[in-house]
Amino acid sequence: MTRKVNLDGIESAPRWIVMFLGAYSIVHLFVLYLWNAAGQAFSIQGTSDGTSALSVTGMAAVGLWLCLVALRSFPKGAKLRSAWVLMTIAAAAQTAWGVLAQLPGTGLTGQIRMATLIAGGPMRLAVLAAAMLAVLRILRKFGFQSRPSATDWAVSGIAGLFTLCRFGEAAMASLAGKSPGVDNWISLSGLPILCVLLFEAMLLRQSVLRMGNGLIARCWIALVWGILLTGAGELALWVIPHDLQSLPLAMFGTLFRLPIAAAFALVPAYQVAAQRRATHPAGGQPEDLPAGVPALAR
Amino acid sequence: MVAFCDAEAGAGRSRRAAKHLAKCDTCRDRLQRIRGEKDALSAGAPIAVMDSRRDLAEVLSAIAGWRGLSGAASELRRRLQRQIETYCGAPALLVVQQPGVRAEELLGKTGEILEVFLGPAAAEALSDDVLRGLDWAVPAAEISR
Repeated sequence: MTRKVNLDGIESAPRWIVMFLGAYSIVHLFVLYLWNAAGQAFSIQGTSDGTSALSVTGMAAVGLWLCLVALRSFPKGAKLRSAWVLMTIAAAAQTAWGVLAQLPGTGLTGQIRMATLIAGGPMRLAVLAAAMLAVLRILRKFGFQSRPSATDWAVSGIAGLFTLCRFGEAAMASLAGKSPGVDNWISLSGLPILCVLLFEAMLLRQSVLRMGNGLIARCWIALVWGILLTGAGELALWVIPHDLQSLPLAMFGTLFRLPIAAAFALVPAYQVAAQRRATHPAGGQPEDLPAGVPALAR
Repeated sequence: MVAFCDAEAGAGRSRRAAKHLAKCDTCRDRLQRIRGEKDALSAGAPIAVMDSRRDLAEVLSAIAGWRGLSGAASELRRRLQRQIETYCGAPALLVVQQPGVRAEELLGKTGEILEVFLGPAAAEALSDDVLRGLDWAVPAAEISR
């Protein structure tokens, strides 16, 4: 049995997010293809370092709104409320960073911008790590925990190695008399937290593998993807300038940041969709959900 | 005590029991009662007169009730399994539905998981949905568990 595809209402938010991401990525890649085909004759404009494109900020705002909707369903005393409060704070920090990072970097606005860079960077990652810890504890309570596999350790090892490389590079630059810049230091301070977050994401992935491909599981697998993409994006944006200097970095930055923002927005979107499905069941027929383990989680 | 009475307690335990019985009036009385009941049964004591037709009706009614409850339990179990598959996933059934788990226990555990992950309002709606049209009377304590 299949359910009629419905794009009305808040329960269709995951579909809208995925459709927007797909359309935006296709346009983005098409422009890159044209630019390459034209022999890189014209310049491509993108956002500067440390700022966020409108699409990314918009997606973060959608994520924040959906987090607030999801949070309303967890009254005081609910076990998952603390996790959703933290997720909402993280979404708010990301949105604030997207908006306020556009401010000029001098005077009072410069200080505000710096504060939002810290809030949207290392602080947001720390808040997400705390949220994920709360989720992992609850999953463990219900028997969904499992040990990390070799792949999980490998991913965490790569993240640790990358962090060491970045710190080593910054130390070398400092010794050579070149200051890495405040933005770079803020980014560096978030890397150890990102390592912890990636390890937690791997544990969450294992727990979700034990759960399956239900609506609740999809919500948490989106969080795993958001964190994995954050790590991959950091790695790619560090590797690309070293090896592929001719590529337009700003465009690549947006190409990475939008899927990350979309993955984080999908977390509350799937949560809200599951809640709506429970409170407003559409017909008596079950949705045609694959019974096995999600392919993405695999 | 029954094993001692039937000479099945073994040498060591029988010796200890005999030593205790020599100084304990309560246990001696209990042993006397057991022996008396045994003797009465062996002698074929008269069984109380039974209204066979009424008793048969009671037995049949109990069987019918059990069958109905069993049908409702299997339907409840099936609905809960569908809910777990939809909201968690099929592999979650292996975790939630331990072997030998009763339908009311499954109802309680599923309700708890859904309440934690979806919130109380959604869990309540799902609980109502799963019990709709089902002749299922579960103690309130079981549901809230």
